[in-house]
Amino acid sequence: MTATLMKEESSPVAPAPEPAARIVLRNASRWYGNVVAVNDVSCALGPGITGVLGPNGAGKSTVLNMMAGLLSPSAGEVLVNGAPTAGRPEVYKTLALVPEREAVHSFLTGFEFVRMSARLQNLADVDGATKRAVALVEMEAAQNRPVGTYSKGMRQRIKIAGAMVHQPDILLLDEPFNGMDPRQRLQMMDVMRRLAAEGKTIVISSHILEELNDLATNVLVMVSGRLAASGHFREIRRLMTDRPHTFTIRSSNDRLLAAALLADPSVFGVELTPAGIVLRTADRGALTRHLPGTARTANVRLLEIRPTDESLESVFSYLVER
Amino acid sequence: MTGPFDSTVMWLTWRQLFAKRRLYLSAAFALAPVVISLVFRFSSNDLANASVPFLTSLLREIVVGTLLPIAALVFGTTAFGGEIDDGTLVYLLVKPLARWRVVLTKYVVATACTLAVMIPAIVLPWLVVRNPDLPWQFTLAFLAGATVGAVVYCAIFVALGLTTRRALVIGLIYVIGLEIVWSRLISGIKSLSVREFAVAVTKQVGNGAVQISDAVVKMSTVWTMGSILLVAAILIAIRSLSRYEIAERL
Repeated sequence: MTATLMKEESSPVAPAPEPAARIVLRNASRWYGNVVAVNDVSCALGPGITGVLGPNGAGKSTVLNMMAGLLSPSAGEVLVNGAPTAGRPEVYKTLALVPEREAVHSFLTGFEFVRMSARLQNLADVDGATKRAVALVEMEAAQNRPVGTYSKGMRQRIKIAGAMVHQPDILLLDEPFNGMDPRQRLQMMDVMRRLAAEGKTIVISSHILEELNDLATNVLVMVSGRLAASGHFREIRRLMTDRPHTFTIRSSNDRLLAAALLADPSVFGVELTPAGIVLRTADRGALTRHLPGTARTANVRLLEIRPTDESLESVFSYLVER
Repeated sequence: MTGPFDSTVMWLTWRQLFAKRRLYLSAAFALAPVVISLVFRFSSNDLANASVPFLTSLLREIVVGTLLPIAALVFGTTAFGGEIDDGTLVYLLVKPLARWRVVLTKYVVATACTLAVMIPAIVLPWLVVRNPDLPWQFTLAFLAGATVGAVVYCAIFVALGLTTRRALVIGLIYVIGLEIVWSRLISGIKSLSVREFAVAVTKQVGNGAVQISDAVVKMSTVWTMGSILLVAAILIAIRSLSRYEIAERL
C-alpha cells in the first residue's frame, strides 16, 4: 500500500474492500449535534497492525468506537466481517476493544477483572484462559491486588489482558501505551507483533508517531475528523519528516550568523526578528549537522535553537494542506 | 448461557452495589430503625400499650415510607449510573451479551440489595419491641409491602439511572415531591405512588394484624398501576441501554 494524501476539500472515494478486509468503513461519518467528529472516512483493514494517528480530538476514538459497535455512524457504514457491528453482541466473540479511559472496576483484583471477561465470553476453561492472559501482559505479580491500587501502566496492561482473554481475531486498542514505561511498552509491542504474525487484525490509535514506529505496517492519519493520509508507515513518516521545519535561533551575533546560514543549501529562508533568527529548512537533519560548523566558521556563539512548529497539530495540518 | 439473567453481571453488580462506602451506608439504613426501637424500648413508660402504635408508625413512615425509596434510589440509580460515570460500562457492552439481559440482571440485583437492607430494618425493630400484640403476620405484612415497593421503585430508578446523568437528584425530587408531599395533599396522586402501593399491600397481607386506619389505595389499583409502572420502567431501561452509545469527549 502506498501513502495516499487526502485533500481537505475532496471526499475520498470508498475503496473496494480488499479480499481479506475484516473491517470496512465506507464514507463513515459521525456527528454529535453540530459537531462533526468523523467526516467521510473510508478504509479497509485486514490482518496486521494498522495505526490510527492524529492529534487529540481528531476523531480517532470515534472511529475505533464505531468499529467496535459502540457508536453507530451518522452516515455511511462500518462493517466488521461483512456486517454492521452496532446491535450485534455476537460480534464480540471475535472482536475486542481496549478503551482509552483508564477506568477499570477498582474494587476487583486484576485477576478477577480478567476472569470476569473470560466468564462473560463463556469460555470453556475460564481459569486457564485468565492465567494465560495475565501472563501475556506480565501481571502475575500484581494480579491479586485491587485494580484501584494499580499504576496507569498496570491498568492499561490488565485492560489488554481482559480484552485478549478470548483470543479475538480483531483487537482495537485506543491509546494503549498511555502510562506504560518504556520496558512495558516494548513488551506490549512484542505481544502485538506476535499476534499480528498469527493473522490477527490489530488497530492501534495514537497521537505519537514514534509509538507506531516499527509496529504498524499501515497508518491512517486523521486530522479534524478527516482521513488526511493513509498508507505504509514509512511513507507517512517520510511525508512528515520531509516537511519544511522552522527554527528560532539566538546567537552572539544574529546578523552575521544569518548571512552565513544563507549559504547553506538546506536553508531556504532566513528572517531576522527581535526574538532571533527565524530559519526555514527542508532538511532538518542536514541543518542540525551543518549549524555548529557554520557558527564556528563565522565565529558566532550559539545561545539557543528552538523548533517553532513541532506541535502535532502543525505536523498533521501540513499533511492536510499538501 | 440461557435465561434472562447473567450470573457474572449479577456478581459484578453485587460487588459494585456493596462496595465499601455503600456497605456502611446500607448498614446505617438497616440499623437506624433498630436504634430508634432500642431508644423507645428503654425509655417508654407504657411499653405494653405504646408498642403497637409505635412500631406501626416506625415501619410505615420511616422504614417503608422513607428508607425504602431512598435505599431503592441509591441501589437502583447506582446499578448503571456508577459505571456510566466512570466509563466501566464499556466492559459489559463489548461482550457477547444481549443488553436486555444486562438490564434485567442489574435490576434484579438492585431489588435484592434493597430488600437486603429492608429485611433487617423491619424484622429487628419487631424483635426489639416484641410483645403479644405484634404477631409474626405484622412483620410479614410489612415485608410484603416493602417487597412490592422495592420491585417497582427499583425498576423506576434503574430506568432513571440509564436515562439521565442527574438520576439521584431527580429521584430525590420524585421521592420527596410526589411520594411524600403530593400524594398526601392530592388523593388522586396516591394511585401513582409506589409508597401507597406498599402501604396497601401491608394492610392487605396484615389482615387485621396491622392497624392502618386511613384510606389506602385499592388492591386492584396497586396491581394495575404497579404493573404498568414496572413494565414501562423496565422497557424504558432496556431501550436506553440498547441505544446507549459511548461518546468521545469533544
